[in-house]
Amino acid sequence: MTTAAHPEAPDAQPLVPLHCLLHAEPGPPRQAALPTGTPVWVLSRHADVRQALAHPGFGRATLHAPDAPPLTLTPNILDDPASMLNSDGPDHQQIRRTVQRAFTPRAIERWRPWVDGVVRELVDELAASGSPADVVAALTKPLPVRVISRLMELEGLDIDRLGHWSDHALSTTAYTADEIRTAIREFSEFGYQLVVARRENPGEDLVSSLVQAADQTGGVTEEQLTSLTIGLVIAGHETTMTSFGNALVYLLDPQHADAWRRVGEDLSAATAATEQILRTVPLGDRTSAPGLLRRAVADVEIGGVLIPEGAIIACDAGSANHDPAVYPTGPTDLFSPLGAPSLTFGAGPHHCLGAWLARMELELGLHHLARVLPDLRLAAPVEDIAWRTGLLTRSPLRLDVAW
Amino acid sequence: MSPDPVVVTVDQTRCIGSGLCARTAPDALALGPNGRAIPVHPTAAPSHTLTEAAEMCPVEAIAVHHATTGELLAPIW
Repeated sequence: MTTAAHPEAPDAQPLVPLHCLLHAEPGPPRQAALPTGTPVWVLSRHADVRQALAHPGFGRATLHAPDAPPLTLTPNILDDPASMLNSDGPDHQQIRRTVQRAFTPRAIERWRPWVDGVVRELVDELAASGSPADVVAALTKPLPVRVISRLMELEGLDIDRLGHWSDHALSTTAYTADEIRTAIREFSEFGYQLVVARRENPGEDLVSSLVQAADQTGGVTEEQLTSLTIGLVIAGHETTMTSFGNALVYLLDPQHADAWRRVGEDLSAATAATEQILRTVPLGDRTSAPGLLRRAVADVEIGGVLIPEGAIIACDAGSANHDPAVYPTGPTDLFSPLGAPSLTFGAGPHHCLGAWLARMELELGLHHLARVLPDLRLAAPVEDIAWRTGLLTRSPLRLDVAW
Repeated sequence: MSPDPVVVTVDQTRCIGSGLCARTAPDALALGPNGRAIPVHPTAAPSHTLTEAAEMCPVEAIAVHHATTGELLAPIW
C-alpha cells in the first residue's frame, strides 16, 4: 500500500511486467551470493524446493542467530525474531496452531458471501465511475484492506497510516534503515495496543480469537502476539493487492481477451485461472534474495548436494513453479488444473497462513470484474505502467483501464 | 466395548508437509522421508487429537473415515 509513491527514475528502462520475468532454468543446487555478499545455495527444482521447505534440517530461527551472516542491506519486518516466520519446530507450531484454525479452507469459506459482497460493491462502483478508471485505486488496493479490516474489526482505521507502515515494513531500498525502524516501532506499538484492547474487550474478530487462544494455550509471548497481529495486517493486504494488480496486467493483454471473458462467465474458470496465475506470475523481482531463505541446522543432502550445517539456502519458488518435470512447458493453459501444488505459498511448516483467503479474494475479484466489464482493456501501453518499486514486492502504482 | 476403528488417509498431492498433523497426533501421523505426511497405521482408534489433526491441516489433505461404513468423520464442514 502506498501513500508515498515510488515510481522508478524517469530515465530508467521500462520494467517488464512480472509475468514476463525470466526464470532460471531449474537445475541442481547452485552457489550464488546475496546482495550482502553472503554465499547461498539456490534451489530451483520443484522437488528440491518442496523437500527443503518441509525438511526439519532447515530452519528460519537460526537465520537470525548471533553467528548468522548478514542477509539484508536494510532491516525489514520479516526479520523480526519474535515473528512466527522466524521460529521453528515446537515453538513455531505452538503459535501456528493458535492461528491455523481461523485459516483452514473451511474457516475461510465461511467468509465467501461477505467477500463476494465487498467485491461486487467495489466493481459496481468502478463501473459506475465511467471509463477510463484506475483499477488499483478502485479495486485492487481497497479490496484486501477492507477484507482484513473486517476480519480484524479495524473499521475506522487510518488506511493511509497503515499503508505508510506497510510500505516501510516491506521496503528494500525505498527508505533508510532509520525510517524503516521508526515505522516498524510505531506499527508494533499499534499492534500491541490492539492486543491489549481486545483482551480487555473481546469481540468476534480475529485478533480477539487469537488473544483468547494464545492466553488459553499459554506460552505465546506478548511480543509474539503483537508480531502476529501486525503480520496479519500486512500479509492480509500487501501481497493480495500485488497479486491482483499483476494478474490484471497479465489478463488484460489483448491476447488474453477470450480468457478474460471466460473468467467473467464462469466462476470455476476464474478459480482455475487464479491457481495458474499464482503459479506463473511472481510477486516481485526478488532483488533482495533469489528465493525463500532457510539455514541448515544439520548437514542435509538435497538434490544430490550436501548442504553443510550453518549454510544458507534460497528456495527459488519462481523457477520451481516452471519446472518442466512437474508442469507443462509452453504457453500457460489458464484453465487446466495444476496437478502438483505450486510453491507460491511455500511448503512445510511456514506454508502461507492466508493462502485460502488470498485465493478467494483473487478469484472473486477477477470473476466479478470480468463479468461486469467483459471488454475491459489497459488504457495505456504496458511500457507506460508506473510501478511501486524498492519494496519486496512489485505491482502497478496505478493501472488505467478502459471499456 | 472399544469405539469403531477409523481409517486415516493423506492426499499425497495436496500435502505440503506442514507437519502440524504429526505434531498434533503423533500416534497416527508422521512425516515421511519425502516431507509429506503418512498414516502410521492402516487403521486407528478414533481420538480427539486425530480429529484435530484433520481439522488443522492447512490444505485439508487429511481425511478420517469410519473403517467399516466409510463415513467421513473429519474434517466436517
